[in-house]
Amino acid sequence: MVLKVNATRMELQQLKKRLKIAVRGHKLLKDKQDELMRQMLSQINEVKEKRMEIEKNFQSILQSFVLSQSELGRAQMEEALSLPSKRMAVNVETKTVMSVKMPTFKSEVSGNIISYGYMNTSGEMDVALIRFDKLIETLFTLAEMEKRIQLLADEIDKTRRRVNALEYKLIPSLEETIKFITMKLAELERSNLTRLMKIKDIVREH
Amino acid sequence: MTAAKIGAIGENDVMLIFKAVGVEVFPTESREEGAAVLSKLVKEGYAVIFITESMAVSLDVEMKKYSSRMLPSIVVVPGLKERNNYALERLRQSIIKAVGADVMKEK
Repeated sequence: MVLKVNATRMELQQLKKRLKIAVRGHKLLKDKQDELMRQMLSQINEVKEKRMEIEKNFQSILQSFVLSQSELGRAQMEEALSLPSKRMAVNVETKTVMSVKMPTFKSEVSGNIISYGYMNTSGEMDVALIRFDKLIETLFTLAEMEKRIQLLADEIDKTRRRVNALEYKLIPSLEETIKFITMKLAELERSNLTRLMKIKDIVREH
Repeated sequence: MTAAKIGAIGENDVMLIFKAVGVEVFPTESREEGAAVLSKLVKEGYAVIFITESMAVSLDVEMKKYSSRMLPSIVVVPGLKERNNYALERLRQSIIKAVGADVMKEK
């Protein structure tokens, strides 16, 4: 599509400048997209494996935990866990990869997982809790990795749109407009020349 | 570096085990409750939110809203109800979004 501009030399110059910038921007964005894609593809399988492994572990822990709960009775269980001595928080740090801000989590743990007397609870529950205590670290890694994939996907999507807009819309229309103005100017030049020749002929006849 | 809180949303039975490791738990049973708790947690700046699979399915729309933010990171964990592979599905969706094709298909 030809842009709505006046066919003047000044406009032509400006358009040429814009085209140069657009081409350069397109190249940079394309590179960014390639790199983001590379990062994402290298992480997908890792995340998937980790997720499957954690789900398997977590489910077996949960099952044994619920089993022990049915053994002990709900009230007993809630009583035992009503005042956990363990405290957990995460430290969030941001890392920037290709202008995408990504969080990294570091857990801060204090206290002991077993916060009750052993008298009224079963051994199975203790084991389940200790296993879960170990698992929770990997859960944070998973949180970090999954978030990274989501953010990368988002950024890739955005970048792809920009690249496409430049490649299929802005750059072609700029090129077309430049061509249009060049033609128009050449046409003006020619018509001016013929007019001059014609006038000269008329002047000579007299 | 800032310390941030961790929360967990889901069925009561699953919440107990999270409570034991010192995560703040918010037992919810219904969709509406879950949505309210989730938006509250996000507002209060929780960095990591664990959510059970069955709850995640019903809160799909709400969770999508936060997926492009840096925080919180919402982690789906399997619950006691039947499995639905929500997390893997979510992973697949982001890949399709990025690559334009499903590269995670089973070979």
